[in-house]
Amino acid sequence: MLHYLTHRIATALFTVWITTIAVAMLIHIVPGDPVQIMYAQSQGTTPEQLEEIRTRLGLNEPVWVQYGMFMGRILQGDFGQTIRGKQPVLDLLMGRLPNTLLLASVSLVIAAFVGIIFGFFAAYKRGTAVDTGLMISALIGVSMPHFWLGLILLFVFAVNLAWLPVAGEDWRSLVLPAITLGVANAGIIARLTRSSMIDILNQDFVRTARAKGLHKGTILYRHVLLAGLIPVVTMLGLQFTYMLGGAIVVENVFAWNGIGRLAIQAIFQRDYPLIQGFILIFACLVVTVSLVMDLLYAVLDPRVRLS
Amino acid sequence: MAMQSLSDAGGAPSEMALKLGQFFRNKGAVIGLVIVLVLVFVAIFAPLIAPFDPQMMGAGRRLQPPSFGHPFGTDEFGRDLFSRVVYGSRLTLMIAGIAVGIALAIGLTIGLVGGYAGGWTERVVMRLVDVVFSFTETLIALAAVAVLGPSLKNAMIAVGIATMPFYARICYSTVIVEKNKPYFEATVAAGAGHVRILFLHLLPNILPTMVVVATLGVSTAILAAAGLSFLGLGAQPPSPEWGWMLSAGRDYFTRAPWMMIVPGVSIAITVLGFNLLGDGVREILDPRQTTRR
Repeated sequence: MLHYLTHRIATALFTVWITTIAVAMLIHIVPGDPVQIMYAQSQGTTPEQLEEIRTRLGLNEPVWVQYGMFMGRILQGDFGQTIRGKQPVLDLLMGRLPNTLLLASVSLVIAAFVGIIFGFFAAYKRGTAVDTGLMISALIGVSMPHFWLGLILLFVFAVNLAWLPVAGEDWRSLVLPAITLGVANAGIIARLTRSSMIDILNQDFVRTARAKGLHKGTILYRHVLLAGLIPVVTMLGLQFTYMLGGAIVVENVFAWNGIGRLAIQAIFQRDYPLIQGFILIFACLVVTVSLVMDLLYAVLDPRVRLS
Repeated sequence: MAMQSLSDAGGAPSEMALKLGQFFRNKGAVIGLVIVLVLVFVAIFAPLIAPFDPQMMGAGRRLQPPSFGHPFGTDEFGRDLFSRVVYGSRLTLMIAGIAVGIALAIGLTIGLVGGYAGGWTERVVMRLVDVVFSFTETLIALAAVAVLGPSLKNAMIAVGIATMPFYARICYSTVIVEKNKPYFEATVAAGAGHVRILFLHLLPNILPTMVVVATLGVSTAILAAAGLSFLGLGAQPPSPEWGWMLSAGRDYFTRAPWMMIVPGVSIAITVLGFNLLGDGVREILDPRQTTRR
Protein backbone atom coordinates (compact mmCIF):
# COMPACT_ATOMS: atom_id res chain seq x y z
CA MET A 1 0.00 0.00 0.00
CA LEU A 2 2.79 2.40 0.96
CA HIS A 3 4.57 1.65 -2.29
CA TYR A 4 1.39 2.25 -4.29
CA LEU A 5 0.72 5.47 -2.38
CA THR A 6 4.18 6.95 -2.99
CA HIS A 7 4.13 5.89 -6.63
CA ARG A 8 0.73 7.46 -7.18
CA ILE A 9 1.66 10.73 -5.43
CA ALA A 10 4.93 10.91 -7.38
CA THR A 11 2.98 10.50 -10.64
CA ALA A 12 0.59 13.28 -9.65
CA LEU A 13 3.47 15.63 -8.78
CA PHE A 14 5.18 14.79 -12.08
CA THR A 15 2.00 15.68 -13.97
CA VAL A 16 1.73 19.03 -12.22
CA TRP A 17 5.42 19.72 -12.89
CA ILE A 18 5.05 19.01 -16.61
CA THR A 19 2.05 21.34 -16.64
CA THR A 20 4.04 24.17 -15.06
CA ILE A 21 6.65 23.83 -17.82
CA ALA A 22 3.96 23.84 -20.52
CA VAL A 23 2.22 26.83 -18.95
CA ALA A 24 5.47 28.78 -18.51
CA MET A 25 6.34 28.13 -22.15
CA LEU A 26 2.85 29.07 -23.34
CA ILE A 27 3.80 32.70 -23.77
CA HIS A 28 6.69 31.71 -26.07
CA ILE A 29 4.65 29.39 -28.30
CA VAL A 30 2.14 32.16 -29.04
CA PRO A 31 2.71 33.41 -32.59
CA GLY A 32 3.91 37.02 -32.63
CA ASP A 33 5.16 39.15 -29.77
CA PRO A 34 3.05 38.33 -26.71
CA VAL A 35 3.62 41.69 -25.05
CA GLN A 36 2.44 43.57 -28.12
CA ILE A 37 -0.58 41.30 -28.52
CA MET A 38 -1.53 41.70 -24.88
CA TYR A 39 -1.24 45.46 -24.89
CA ALA A 40 -2.56 46.00 -28.40
CA GLN A 41 -5.92 47.15 -27.05
CA SER A 42 -4.57 49.76 -24.65
CA GLN A 43 -3.81 52.84 -26.74
CA GLY A 44 -0.71 54.91 -26.43
CA THR A 45 1.71 52.35 -25.06
CA THR A 46 5.19 53.61 -25.97
CA PRO A 47 7.99 51.25 -27.03
CA GLU A 48 9.77 52.15 -23.77
CA GLN A 49 6.77 51.02 -21.77
CA LEU A 50 6.62 47.75 -23.74
CA GLU A 51 10.31 47.22 -23.02
CA GLU A 52 9.69 47.89 -19.34
CA ILE A 53 6.86 45.33 -19.29
CA ARG A 54 9.11 42.84 -21.05
CA THR A 55 11.80 43.32 -18.41
CA ARG A 56 9.24 43.08 -15.62
CA LEU A 57 7.88 39.80 -17.02
CA GLY A 58 11.47 38.58 -17.42
CA LEU A 59 11.08 38.03 -21.17
CA ASN A 60 14.62 39.26 -21.82
CA GLU A 61 16.17 36.54 -19.66
CA PRO A 62 17.20 33.07 -20.87
CA VAL A 63 14.35 30.55 -20.93
CA TRP A 64 15.46 28.52 -17.88
CA VAL A 65 15.89 31.69 -15.82
CA GLN A 66 12.36 32.68 -16.83
CA TYR A 67 11.06 29.29 -15.77
CA GLY A 68 12.85 29.62 -12.43
CA MET A 69 11.33 33.07 -11.88
CA PHE A 70 7.91 31.77 -12.91
CA MET A 71 8.09 28.83 -10.51
CA GLY A 72 9.38 31.09 -7.73
CA ARG A 73 6.35 33.32 -8.10
CA ILE A 74 3.88 30.44 -8.44
CA LEU A 75 5.19 28.71 -5.32
CA GLN A 76 4.66 31.92 -3.38
CA GLY A 77 1.06 31.98 -4.61
CA ASP A 78 1.71 34.89 -6.98
CA PHE A 79 0.01 34.07 -10.29
CA GLY A 80 0.41 37.62 -11.59
CA GLN A 81 -2.28 40.15 -12.45
CA THR A 82 -4.89 40.15 -15.17
CA ILE A 83 -4.14 42.43 -18.11
CA ARG A 84 -7.57 44.00 -17.86
CA GLY A 85 -8.46 45.36 -14.46
CA LYS A 86 -5.10 44.41 -12.90
CA GLN A 87 -6.71 41.95 -10.50
CA PRO A 88 -4.64 39.21 -8.82
CA VAL A 89 -5.17 36.10 -10.99
CA LEU A 90 -5.19 33.61 -8.12
CA ASP A 91 -7.85 35.51 -6.13
CA LEU A 92 -10.04 35.82 -9.19
CA LEU A 93 -9.81 32.10 -10.02
CA MET A 94 -10.27 30.99 -6.41
CA GLY A 95 -13.35 33.19 -6.17
CA ARG A 96 -14.93 31.42 -9.15
CA LEU A 97 -13.73 27.89 -8.39
CA PRO A 98 -16.46 26.99 -5.83
CA ASN A 99 -19.15 27.68 -8.45
CA THR A 100 -17.54 25.27 -10.92
CA LEU A 101 -17.04 22.60 -8.26
CA LEU A 102 -20.65 22.98 -7.14
CA LEU A 103 -21.94 22.63 -10.70
CA ALA A 104 -19.76 19.60 -11.46
CA SER A 105 -20.64 17.86 -8.17
CA VAL A 106 -24.40 18.33 -8.49
CA SER A 107 -24.20 17.19 -12.13
CA LEU A 108 -22.25 14.11 -11.10
CA VAL A 109 -24.93 13.18 -8.56
CA ILE A 110 -27.64 13.59 -11.22
CA ALA A 111 -25.64 11.64 -13.82
CA ALA A 112 -24.88 8.80 -11.39
CA PHE A 113 -28.47 8.60 -10.16
CA VAL A 114 -30.09 8.61 -13.59
CA GLY A 115 -27.37 6.51 -15.22
CA ILE A 116 -27.34 3.75 -12.59
CA ILE A 117 -31.14 3.45 -12.54
CA PHE A 118 -31.33 3.30 -16.35
CA GLY A 119 -28.43 0.86 -16.62
CA PHE A 120 -29.73 -1.38 -13.84
CA PHE A 121 -33.21 -1.69 -15.30
CA ALA A 122 -31.87 -2.23 -18.80
CA ALA A 123 -29.69 -5.08 -17.49
CA TYR A 124 -32.54 -6.57 -15.47
CA LYS A 125 -34.88 -6.45 -18.48
CA ARG A 126 -32.12 -7.28 -20.96
CA GLY A 127 -33.19 -8.28 -24.44
CA THR A 128 -36.64 -6.72 -24.02
CA ALA A 129 -38.13 -3.55 -25.46
CA VAL A 130 -37.46 -1.79 -22.13
CA ASP A 131 -33.75 -2.53 -22.49
CA THR A 132 -33.68 -1.31 -26.09
CA GLY A 133 -35.62 1.84 -25.23
CA LEU A 134 -33.39 2.72 -22.27
CA MET A 135 -30.21 2.09 -24.24
CA ILE A 136 -31.41 4.13 -27.21
CA SER A 137 -32.15 7.06 -24.91
CA ALA A 138 -28.70 6.64 -23.35
CA LEU A 139 -27.12 6.70 -26.80
CA ILE A 140 -29.04 9.83 -27.73
CA GLY A 141 -27.86 11.41 -24.46
CA VAL A 142 -24.24 10.64 -25.41
CA SER A 143 -24.70 11.96 -28.95
CA MET A 144 -26.34 15.31 -28.16
CA PRO A 145 -24.03 18.30 -27.84
CA HIS A 146 -24.15 19.53 -24.18
CA PHE A 147 -24.52 23.14 -25.21
CA TRP A 148 -27.47 22.42 -27.46
CA LEU A 149 -29.39 20.50 -24.77
CA GLY A 150 -28.57 23.37 -22.42
CA LEU A 151 -29.93 26.02 -24.77
CA ILE A 152 -33.13 24.06 -25.41
CA LEU A 153 -33.70 23.64 -21.65
CA LEU A 154 -32.87 27.30 -21.11
CA PHE A 155 -35.40 28.50 -23.64
CA VAL A 156 -38.15 26.09 -22.68
CA PHE A 157 -37.96 26.32 -18.88
CA ALA A 158 -36.43 29.72 -18.26
CA VAL A 159 -37.58 31.88 -21.17
CA ASN A 160 -40.92 30.41 -22.31
CA LEU A 161 -42.30 28.83 -19.15
CA ALA A 162 -40.34 31.14 -16.79
CA TRP A 163 -40.19 28.43 -14.12
CA LEU A 164 -36.52 29.06 -13.45
CA PRO A 165 -34.28 32.13 -13.74
CA VAL A 166 -32.25 32.65 -16.95
CA ALA A 167 -29.08 33.40 -14.99
CA GLY A 168 -28.09 34.08 -11.42
CA GLU A 169 -26.15 32.83 -8.43
CA ASP A 170 -28.71 30.98 -6.29
CA TRP A 171 -29.68 27.30 -6.32
CA ARG A 172 -32.56 27.87 -8.73
CA SER A 173 -30.18 28.99 -11.45
CA LEU A 174 -28.07 25.89 -10.77
CA VAL A 175 -30.93 23.52 -11.69
CA LEU A 176 -30.75 23.79 -15.49
CA PRO A 177 -26.94 23.75 -15.94
CA ALA A 178 -26.67 20.79 -13.55
CA ILE A 179 -29.40 18.86 -15.41
CA THR A 180 -27.72 19.65 -18.74
CA LEU A 181 -24.33 18.40 -17.66
CA GLY A 182 -25.83 15.51 -15.69
CA VAL A 183 -28.11 14.17 -18.42
CA ALA A 184 -25.37 14.45 -21.04
CA ASN A 185 -23.12 12.22 -18.93
CA ALA A 186 -25.79 9.88 -17.58
CA GLY A 187 -25.74 8.01 -20.90
CA ILE A 188 -22.14 6.87 -20.45
CA ILE A 189 -22.82 5.72 -16.88
CA ALA A 190 -25.99 3.91 -17.96
CA ARG A 191 -24.14 1.95 -20.64
CA LEU A 192 -21.35 1.00 -18.25
CA THR A 193 -23.78 0.04 -15.47
CA ARG A 194 -25.72 -2.17 -17.87
CA SER A 195 -22.74 -4.16 -19.08
CA SER A 196 -21.34 -4.49 -15.56
CA MET A 197 -24.70 -5.70 -14.18
CA ILE A 198 -25.11 -8.22 -16.99
CA ASP A 199 -21.66 -9.61 -16.18
CA ILE A 200 -22.74 -10.09 -12.59
CA LEU A 201 -26.17 -11.52 -13.44
CA ASN A 202 -24.44 -14.27 -15.44
CA GLN A 203 -22.15 -15.27 -12.59
CA ASP A 204 -22.33 -18.42 -10.51
CA PHE A 205 -22.93 -16.76 -7.18
CA VAL A 206 -26.12 -15.18 -8.45
CA ARG A 207 -27.37 -18.59 -9.57
CA THR A 208 -26.39 -20.02 -6.18
CA ALA A 209 -28.31 -17.28 -4.41
CA ARG A 210 -31.32 -17.99 -6.58
CA ALA A 211 -31.03 -21.73 -5.96
CA LYS A 212 -30.89 -21.07 -2.23
CA GLY A 213 -34.33 -19.54 -2.64
CA LEU A 214 -33.33 -16.04 -1.58
CA HIS A 215 -35.86 -13.30 -2.12
CA LYS A 216 -35.53 -11.76 -5.59
CA GLY A 217 -35.16 -8.24 -4.18
CA THR A 218 -32.39 -9.35 -1.84
CA ILE A 219 -30.47 -10.96 -4.70
CA LEU A 220 -30.84 -7.95 -6.94
CA TYR A 221 -29.91 -5.43 -4.29
CA ARG A 222 -27.26 -7.15 -2.21
CA HIS A 223 -25.60 -9.37 -4.81
CA VAL A 224 -26.11 -7.75 -8.18
CA LEU A 225 -26.41 -4.01 -7.61
CA LEU A 226 -23.66 -3.67 -5.02
CA ALA A 227 -21.22 -5.94 -6.84
CA GLY A 228 -22.00 -4.43 -10.22
CA LEU A 229 -21.40 -0.93 -8.95
CA ILE A 230 -17.65 -1.38 -8.31
CA PRO A 231 -16.56 -0.56 -11.89
CA VAL A 232 -19.17 2.17 -12.06
CA VAL A 233 -17.84 3.88 -8.95
CA THR A 234 -14.33 3.74 -10.42
CA MET A 235 -15.68 5.34 -13.55
CA LEU A 236 -17.29 8.17 -11.55
CA GLY A 237 -13.87 9.62 -10.71
CA LEU A 238 -12.96 9.86 -14.38
CA GLN A 239 -16.45 11.14 -15.05
CA PHE A 240 -15.94 13.96 -12.55
CA THR A 241 -12.94 15.24 -14.48
CA TYR A 242 -15.07 15.12 -17.64
CA MET A 243 -17.75 17.08 -15.80
CA LEU A 244 -15.18 19.74 -14.96
CA GLY A 245 -14.27 19.94 -18.66
CA GLY A 246 -17.92 19.98 -19.72
CA ALA A 247 -18.64 22.67 -17.13
CA ILE A 248 -16.43 25.06 -19.12
CA VAL A 249 -18.91 24.94 -22.02
CA VAL A 250 -22.11 24.70 -19.99
CA GLU A 251 -21.13 27.68 -17.80
CA ASN A 252 -21.01 29.77 -20.95
CA VAL A 253 -24.49 28.69 -22.01
CA PHE A 254 -26.07 29.61 -18.68
CA ALA A 255 -23.81 32.54 -17.72
CA TRP A 256 -22.88 30.56 -14.59
CA ASN A 257 -19.99 32.35 -12.93
CA GLY A 258 -17.43 29.57 -12.76
CA ILE A 259 -13.80 29.41 -13.88
CA GLY A 260 -14.83 28.10 -17.30
CA ARG A 261 -16.66 31.29 -18.17
CA LEU A 262 -13.70 33.28 -16.92
CA ALA A 263 -11.36 31.18 -19.07
CA ILE A 264 -13.29 31.79 -22.29
CA GLN A 265 -13.34 35.54 -21.61
CA ALA A 266 -9.60 35.38 -20.95
CA ILE A 267 -8.99 33.61 -24.28
CA PHE A 268 -10.94 36.28 -26.17
CA GLN A 269 -9.10 39.09 -24.40
CA ARG A 270 -5.76 37.30 -24.79
CA ASP A 271 -5.27 37.73 -21.07
CA TYR A 272 -2.29 35.37 -20.87
CA PRO A 273 -1.63 35.56 -17.10
CA LEU A 274 -5.27 34.59 -16.51
CA ILE A 275 -5.09 31.76 -19.09
CA GLN A 276 -1.90 30.45 -17.48
CA GLY A 277 -3.48 30.59 -14.04
CA PHE A 278 -6.61 28.86 -15.26
CA ILE A 279 -4.70 25.97 -16.85
CA LEU A 280 -2.59 25.49 -13.72
CA ILE A 281 -5.53 25.57 -11.32
CA PHE A 282 -7.59 23.28 -13.53
CA ALA A 283 -4.66 20.88 -13.89
CA CYS A 284 -4.15 20.73 -10.11
CA LEU A 285 -7.87 20.12 -9.69
CA VAL A 286 -7.98 17.24 -12.19
CA VAL A 287 -4.82 15.68 -10.75
CA THR A 288 -6.16 15.91 -7.20
CA VAL A 289 -9.50 14.40 -8.15
CA SER A 290 -7.95 11.42 -9.93
CA LEU A 291 -5.41 10.92 -7.11
CA VAL A 292 -8.14 10.87 -4.46
CA MET A 293 -10.27 8.52 -6.58
CA ASP A 294 -7.38 6.10 -7.15
CA LEU A 295 -6.53 6.03 -3.46
CA LEU A 296 -10.19 5.48 -2.52
CA TYR A 297 -10.35 2.64 -4.99
CA ALA A 298 -7.20 1.10 -3.55
CA VAL A 299 -8.75 1.22 -0.09
CA LEU A 300 -11.96 -0.40 -1.37
CA ASP A 301 -10.40 -3.08 -3.57
CA PRO A 302 -7.53 -5.08 -2.07
CA ARG A 303 -6.47 -6.38 -5.50
CA VAL A 304 -5.23 -2.93 -6.49
CA ARG A 305 -3.14 -2.15 -3.44
CA LEU A 306 -1.48 -5.56 -3.38
CA SER A 307 -0.35 -5.55 -6.99
CA MET B 1 -2.62 -26.01 -55.96
CA ALA B 2 -5.63 -28.31 -56.08
CA MET B 3 -5.53 -28.69 -52.31
CA GLN B 4 -5.58 -24.97 -51.81
CA SER B 5 -8.59 -24.30 -54.03
CA LEU B 6 -10.38 -27.13 -52.26
CA SER B 7 -9.81 -25.60 -48.84
CA ASP B 8 -10.80 -22.20 -50.17
CA ALA B 9 -14.12 -23.49 -51.44
CA GLY B 10 -15.13 -25.79 -48.63
CA GLY B 11 -13.16 -24.54 -45.63
CA ALA B 12 -14.21 -22.17 -42.89
CA PRO B 13 -14.93 -18.58 -43.99
CA SER B 14 -12.07 -16.18 -43.39
CA GLU B 15 -11.80 -14.19 -40.15
CA MET B 16 -12.56 -11.04 -42.10
CA ALA B 17 -15.80 -12.47 -43.53
CA LEU B 18 -16.88 -13.61 -40.07
CA LYS B 19 -16.28 -10.16 -38.63
CA LEU B 20 -18.16 -8.48 -41.45
CA GLY B 21 -21.07 -10.85 -40.92
CA GLN B 22 -21.05 -10.02 -37.23
CA PHE B 23 -21.03 -6.31 -38.04
CA PHE B 24 -23.97 -6.53 -40.42
CA ARG B 25 -26.05 -8.59 -37.98
CA ASN B 26 -25.83 -5.66 -35.53
CA LYS B 27 -28.85 -3.50 -36.40
CA GLY B 28 -27.44 -0.41 -34.69
CA ALA B 29 -24.18 -0.64 -36.59
CA VAL B 30 -26.01 -0.87 -39.91
CA ILE B 31 -28.18 2.14 -39.04
CA GLY B 32 -25.02 4.02 -38.10
CA LEU B 33 -23.37 3.07 -41.37
CA VAL B 34 -26.42 4.26 -43.31
CA ILE B 35 -26.43 7.63 -41.47
CA VAL B 36 -22.73 8.12 -42.19
CA LEU B 37 -23.13 7.14 -45.86
CA VAL B 38 -26.06 9.55 -46.26
CA LEU B 39 -23.93 12.29 -44.71
CA VAL B 40 -21.06 11.56 -47.09
CA PHE B 41 -23.50 11.57 -50.03
CA VAL B 42 -24.98 14.93 -48.96
CA ALA B 43 -21.50 16.40 -48.55
CA ILE B 44 -20.32 15.24 -51.98
CA PHE B 45 -23.44 16.37 -53.83
CA ALA B 46 -24.08 19.50 -51.76
CA PRO B 47 -24.27 21.86 -54.80
CA LEU B 48 -26.92 19.60 -56.39
CA ILE B 49 -28.95 19.08 -53.21
CA ALA B 50 -28.95 22.61 -51.85
CA PRO B 51 -31.61 24.77 -53.58
CA PHE B 52 -29.80 28.04 -52.73
CA ASP B 53 -26.32 29.45 -52.32
CA PRO B 54 -25.58 29.00 -48.57
CA GLN B 55 -24.31 32.60 -48.36
CA MET B 56 -27.04 34.28 -50.43
CA MET B 57 -28.79 36.87 -48.31
CA GLY B 58 -32.22 38.33 -48.90
CA ALA B 59 -33.67 41.27 -46.98
CA GLY B 60 -37.21 40.22 -47.85
CA ARG B 61 -36.99 36.68 -46.43
CA ARG B 62 -35.46 37.13 -43.00
CA LEU B 63 -36.35 34.70 -40.16
CA GLN B 64 -38.98 32.87 -42.20
CA PRO B 65 -40.44 29.68 -40.69
CA PRO B 66 -40.01 26.36 -42.50
CA SER B 67 -42.02 26.24 -45.75
CA PHE B 68 -41.98 24.55 -49.15
CA GLY B 69 -39.44 27.00 -50.54
CA HIS B 70 -37.28 26.89 -47.39
CA PRO B 71 -37.75 23.47 -45.72
CA PHE B 72 -35.73 24.49 -42.62
CA GLY B 73 -36.67 28.19 -42.68
CA THR B 74 -34.30 31.13 -43.09
CA ASP B 75 -31.88 32.91 -40.75
CA GLU B 76 -31.45 36.52 -39.67
CA PHE B 77 -29.89 37.45 -43.03
CA GLY B 78 -32.53 35.61 -45.08
CA ARG B 79 -30.15 32.76 -45.93
CA ASP B 80 -31.74 29.37 -46.61
CA LEU B 81 -31.04 27.14 -43.58
CA PHE B 82 -31.48 23.90 -45.52
CA SER B 83 -28.75 24.91 -47.96
CA ARG B 84 -26.51 26.01 -45.08
CA VAL B 85 -26.97 22.71 -43.26
CA VAL B 86 -26.26 20.79 -46.47
CA TYR B 87 -23.03 22.71 -47.06
CA GLY B 88 -22.24 22.48 -43.35
CA SER B 89 -22.04 18.68 -43.69
CA ARG B 90 -18.89 19.23 -45.77
CA LEU B 91 -17.32 21.22 -42.97
CA THR B 92 -18.32 18.64 -40.37
CA LEU B 93 -16.77 15.78 -42.35
CA MET B 94 -13.67 17.85 -43.12
CA ILE B 95 -13.25 18.79 -39.44
CA ALA B 96 -13.76 15.19 -38.36
CA GLY B 97 -11.33 13.90 -41.00
CA ILE B 98 -8.58 16.42 -40.33
CA ALA B 99 -8.87 16.41 -36.53
CA VAL B 100 -8.88 12.60 -36.39
CA GLY B 101 -6.08 12.53 -38.98
CA ILE B 102 -3.91 14.81 -36.84
CA ALA B 103 -4.69 12.81 -33.69
CA LEU B 104 -3.97 9.55 -35.52
CA ALA B 105 -0.68 10.82 -36.98
CA ILE B 106 0.64 12.07 -33.62
CA GLY B 107 -0.76 9.10 -31.69
CA LEU B 108 0.63 6.59 -34.18
CA THR B 109 4.12 8.13 -34.07
CA ILE B 110 4.19 8.29 -30.28
CA GLY B 111 2.74 4.81 -29.81
CA LEU B 112 5.06 3.30 -32.41
CA VAL B 113 8.21 4.91 -31.04
CA GLY B 114 7.24 4.33 -27.40
CA GLY B 115 6.29 0.70 -27.93
CA TYR B 116 9.24 -0.14 -30.17
CA ALA B 117 11.99 1.65 -28.26
CA GLY B 118 11.06 0.44 -24.78
CA GLY B 119 13.09 1.41 -21.73
CA TRP B 120 13.39 5.08 -20.83
CA THR B 121 11.99 6.40 -24.10
CA GLU B 122 8.87 4.33 -23.57
CA ARG B 123 8.43 5.51 -19.99
CA VAL B 124 8.91 9.20 -20.72
CA VAL B 125 6.79 9.22 -23.88
CA MET B 126 3.88 7.24 -22.45
CA ARG B 127 3.96 9.23 -19.20
CA LEU B 128 3.59 12.42 -21.24
CA VAL B 129 0.63 10.87 -23.05
CA ASP B 130 -0.91 10.09 -19.65
CA VAL B 131 -0.43 13.73 -18.62
CA VAL B 132 -2.28 14.97 -21.70
CA PHE B 133 -4.96 12.31 -21.24
CA SER B 134 -5.64 13.21 -17.62
CA PHE B 135 -6.62 16.78 -18.50
CA THR B 136 -9.69 15.88 -20.56
CA GLU B 137 -10.15 16.95 -24.17
CA THR B 138 -11.87 20.22 -23.36
CA LEU B 139 -9.00 21.70 -21.37
CA ILE B 140 -6.31 20.63 -23.84
CA ALA B 141 -8.35 21.93 -26.77
CA LEU B 142 -8.98 25.24 -24.99
CA ALA B 143 -5.31 25.62 -24.10
CA ALA B 144 -4.32 24.91 -27.70
CA VAL B 145 -6.81 27.46 -29.06
CA ALA B 146 -5.65 29.98 -26.45
CA VAL B 147 -2.12 29.63 -27.80
CA LEU B 148 -2.93 29.43 -31.52
CA GLY B 149 -5.84 31.89 -31.60
CA PRO B 150 -9.48 31.27 -32.57
CA SER B 151 -10.06 29.93 -36.10
CA LEU B 152 -11.47 26.80 -37.72
CA LYS B 153 -8.00 25.59 -38.69
CA ASN B 154 -6.70 26.01 -35.15
CA ALA B 155 -9.79 24.35 -33.70
CA MET B 156 -9.09 21.26 -35.82
CA ILE B 157 -5.45 21.22 -34.66
CA ALA B 158 -6.60 21.72 -31.05
CA VAL B 159 -9.08 18.83 -31.22
CA GLY B 160 -6.41 16.69 -32.89
CA ILE B 161 -3.92 17.32 -30.09
CA ALA B 162 -6.59 16.90 -27.41
CA THR B 163 -7.77 13.49 -28.66
CA MET B 164 -4.29 12.19 -29.49
CA PRO B 165 -3.73 10.16 -26.25
CA PHE B 166 -6.56 7.77 -27.15
CA TYR B 167 -4.77 6.74 -30.36
CA ALA B 168 -1.30 6.78 -28.80
CA ARG B 169 -2.37 4.34 -26.08
CA ILE B 170 -4.08 1.91 -28.45
CA CYS B 171 -1.18 2.08 -30.92
CA TYR B 172 1.27 1.46 -28.09
CA SER B 173 -0.53 -1.65 -26.87
CA THR B 174 -0.89 -2.93 -30.44
CA VAL B 175 2.87 -2.54 -30.97
CA ILE B 176 3.55 -4.47 -27.77
CA VAL B 177 1.39 -7.33 -29.08
CA GLU B 178 3.15 -7.27 -32.47
CA LYS B 179 6.56 -7.32 -30.81
CA ASN B 180 5.80 -10.74 -29.38
CA LYS B 181 4.90 -12.29 -32.72
CA PRO B 182 7.35 -14.60 -34.50
CA TYR B 183 7.71 -12.40 -37.59
CA PHE B 184 9.02 -9.58 -35.45
CA GLU B 185 11.70 -11.74 -33.86
CA ALA B 186 12.59 -13.09 -37.29
CA THR B 187 13.04 -9.57 -38.68
CA VAL B 188 15.22 -8.53 -35.77
CA ALA B 189 17.23 -11.75 -36.08
CA ALA B 190 17.67 -11.10 -39.81
CA GLY B 191 19.39 -7.87 -38.85
CA ALA B 192 16.85 -5.35 -40.14
CA GLY B 193 17.51 -1.74 -39.15
CA HIS B 194 15.21 0.30 -36.89
CA VAL B 195 13.73 2.31 -39.76
CA ARG B 196 13.07 -0.83 -41.76
CA ILE B 197 11.41 -2.61 -38.84
CA LEU B 198 9.30 0.42 -37.94
CA PHE B 199 8.08 1.38 -41.38
CA LEU B 200 8.14 -1.83 -43.38
CA HIS B 201 7.11 -4.33 -40.73
CA LEU B 202 5.39 -2.76 -37.73
CA LEU B 203 3.49 0.06 -39.44
CA PRO B 204 1.76 -2.06 -42.12
CA ASN B 205 0.67 -4.52 -39.44
CA ILE B 206 -0.83 -2.01 -37.04
CA LEU B 207 -2.21 0.50 -39.55
CA PRO B 208 -5.42 -1.46 -40.41
CA THR B 209 -6.31 -1.76 -36.70
CA MET B 210 -5.59 1.92 -36.12
CA VAL B 211 -7.74 3.03 -39.05
CA VAL B 212 -10.64 0.97 -37.67
CA VAL B 213 -10.00 2.38 -34.19
CA ALA B 214 -10.19 5.87 -35.70
CA THR B 215 -13.93 5.43 -36.33
CA LEU B 216 -14.38 5.28 -32.54
CA GLY B 217 -12.91 8.75 -32.15
CA VAL B 218 -14.86 10.56 -34.86
CA SER B 219 -17.91 11.42 -32.72
CA THR B 220 -15.71 12.86 -29.96
CA ALA B 221 -13.87 14.98 -32.50
CA ILE B 222 -17.10 16.31 -34.04
CA LEU B 223 -18.60 17.19 -30.66
CA ALA B 224 -15.40 18.86 -29.43
CA ALA B 225 -14.99 20.92 -32.61
CA ALA B 226 -18.66 21.95 -32.60
CA GLY B 227 -18.24 23.00 -28.96
CA LEU B 228 -15.26 25.20 -29.83
CA SER B 229 -17.17 26.79 -32.71
CA PHE B 230 -20.16 27.31 -30.45
CA LEU B 231 -17.94 29.21 -28.00
CA GLY B 232 -16.72 31.35 -30.89
CA LEU B 233 -13.25 29.77 -30.81
CA GLY B 234 -13.58 27.71 -34.01
CA ALA B 235 -15.37 28.43 -37.28
CA GLN B 236 -16.01 32.13 -37.81
CA PRO B 237 -18.98 33.79 -39.57
CA PRO B 238 -20.30 33.53 -42.23
CA SER B 239 -19.21 29.87 -42.23
CA PRO B 240 -22.15 27.39 -42.29
CA GLU B 241 -20.46 25.33 -39.55
CA TRP B 242 -23.19 23.70 -37.44
CA GLY B 243 -21.80 24.61 -34.02
CA TRP B 244 -21.39 28.23 -35.01
CA MET B 245 -24.88 28.34 -36.64
CA LEU B 246 -26.36 27.03 -33.40
CA SER B 247 -24.61 29.74 -31.44
CA ALA B 248 -25.83 32.43 -33.85
CA GLY B 249 -29.37 31.05 -33.57
CA ARG B 250 -29.65 31.55 -29.84
CA ASP B 251 -30.21 35.30 -30.17
CA TYR B 252 -33.33 34.60 -32.20
CA PHE B 253 -34.75 31.66 -30.31
CA THR B 254 -38.12 33.13 -29.41
CA ARG B 255 -38.71 34.50 -32.93
CA ALA B 256 -37.04 31.75 -34.97
CA PRO B 257 -36.48 28.58 -32.91
CA TRP B 258 -35.65 26.59 -36.08
CA MET B 259 -32.35 28.49 -36.34
CA MET B 260 -31.10 26.69 -33.26
CA ILE B 261 -32.99 23.41 -33.57
CA VAL B 262 -31.89 22.53 -37.14
CA PRO B 263 -28.09 22.64 -36.66
CA GLY B 264 -28.41 20.99 -33.22
CA VAL B 265 -30.37 18.06 -34.62
CA SER B 266 -27.88 17.79 -37.50
CA ILE B 267 -24.96 17.49 -35.06
CA ALA B 268 -26.86 15.01 -32.87
CA ILE B 269 -27.82 12.72 -35.79
CA THR B 270 -24.29 12.80 -37.21
CA VAL B 271 -22.71 11.98 -33.86
CA LEU B 272 -25.33 9.29 -33.26
CA GLY B 273 -24.44 7.73 -36.61
CA PHE B 274 -20.73 7.64 -35.81
CA ASN B 275 -21.45 6.36 -32.29
CA LEU B 276 -23.57 3.47 -33.62
CA LEU B 277 -20.93 2.67 -36.22
CA GLY B 278 -18.24 2.84 -33.53
CA ASP B 279 -20.20 0.47 -31.27
CA GLY B 280 -20.39 -2.05 -34.08
CA VAL B 281 -16.67 -1.73 -34.71
CA ARG B 282 -15.83 -1.97 -31.00
CA GLU B 283 -17.82 -5.18 -30.74
CA ILE B 284 -15.70 -6.74 -33.47
CA LEU B 285 -12.45 -5.52 -31.93
CA ASP B 286 -13.27 -6.62 -28.40
CA PRO B 287 -14.56 -10.20 -28.27
CA ARG B 288 -15.33 -9.88 -24.54
CA GLN B 289 -18.06 -7.42 -25.39
CA THR B 290 -19.90 -9.93 -27.59
CA THR B 291 -20.07 -12.65 -24.97
CA ARG B 292 -21.82 -10.17 -22.71
CA ARG B 293 -24.93 -9.95 -24.81
